[in-house]
Amino acid sequence: MLRVDATQLLKGVLDLAVLAVLRDEDGYGYDILRRLRAAGLEEVGDASVYGTLRRLFNNGLLNSYVVPSDEGPHRKYYALNEAGRAELQSSGKVWQGFASIMEDLLRERGKA
Amino acid sequence: MNLTAQDEIAVYVEGVREALAGLPAATRDELLEDLPEHLAEVLAEGGGSLYERLGPPAAYAAELSASAGFTTATPPAGERSRIAETAARHRARIDRVLRRADERAGPVLGYARASEFLALLRPAWWVLRGYLAAMAVAFMLHDHDTPLGLLPRAGDDDLAAILLLSLGILGSIWLGRRARPAGSWPRRLQRLGTGFLVIFAVVGFFEVDSAAQRDYYYTVEYTDPPPEPLSDIRDVFVYDAEGRLLVGVQLYDQHGRPIRLGDPMCDDELDSPVPIVNPGYPYCPDQAPFRAGEPSLSTAPSTGPSAGDAEQPPATPTTPAIPSPSR
Repeated sequence: MLRVDATQLLKGVLDLAVLAVLRDEDGYGYDILRRLRAAGLEEVGDASVYGTLRRLFNNGLLNSYVVPSDEGPHRKYYALNEAGRAELQSSGKVWQGFASIMEDLLRERGKA
Repeated sequence: MNLTAQDEIAVYVEGVREALAGLPAATRDELLEDLPEHLAEVLAEGGGSLYERLGPPAAYAAELSASAGFTTATPPAGERSRIAETAARHRARIDRVLRRADERAGPVLGYARASEFLALLRPAWWVLRGYLAAMAVAFMLHDHDTPLGLLPRAGDDDLAAILLLSLGILGSIWLGRRARPAGSWPRRLQRLGTGFLVIFAVVGFFEVDSAAQRDYYYTVEYTDPPPEPLSDIRDVFVYDAEGRLLVGVQLYDQHGRPIRLGDPMCDDELDSPVPIVNPGYPYCPDQAPFRAGEPSLSTAPSTGPSAGDAEQPPATPTTPAIPSPSR
């Protein structure tokens, strides 16, 4: 049950998580997935990351460029653009507010 | 990136594409645009097949479309989309049946899934496709009075035919090694071409088959019957124990049937054939190969009494009596 919850939670914040891992460094699909997992989001699915990237790109929050590679496939890198940074900032604030409320709530419960 | 990895990716992407049948084609194409490259990355990481790492393509597709903000589940209103939805449902059902068949047939071939085996045959199909394409081109260009052989000959030139064949096969392999065409039109065109080649192949196969059979009948028709033994015998000369030529000899087989050999004709001095008058062999005593005695018709009955009467009936019988067997 907990796993399902984590997945549910993830759905709501995956956009934000993807924007966050692209804040400091551009990345390609699998690279982004790896960063998310390394950060602790073990449950994140490959298809979800790929789909999210496509959607953020279509919504104009990301730029993309292809980096040719001698060995292995060409990689499509994604980068935050201005709109993406603005979105990251505003959504990030919403999330932080929400998260602190949740934290308080859970702490109250724990005391009770 | 090796061939099997590419195949695995192509199969997987195709599975995802089919599972997304409910989406409009343009949206789907756009969504899947980078998927082969992305899956190549996943595969390059190692750690098992795409199927093992990402689950079934249908599940991947569901997660993908949900996270990309498309839902195949919500049916948009309108007749057109309802038809599309029905079509997608049917396609999904066919897909399920095919997948089950795929999994059932796999172990028979020694693989987990039959499609894994078929994917291995892909380069063979490329070569065959190249050959068929070359044959189709030659078929359209060649002179229709002469039948097309097995080489794609557009003219009489064998070298040009081999060149065309090589071009076809290399081109087909190149086309196969390339990733699937991205747009829906090139893809449709490729499917159309494949369909055409398959029909061309089936028709051509039966055409060649019946032509080969026809050739066989021709051979039977036009070959002379095998020469019968004794067929080149024109006359028979019988000699007795003393080496004298017997004349007026009658030959019979074990059933008492007369043995007829040669031609009852003799060439006269002018080399024109005249019918013989004396019954029995030889027809033409003059042409005897050996001349021990001097044979003549009148002396014949008395020349070889020791040879046995059975073999030597009277020299001038009007109706040849059937000789009694000597034993």
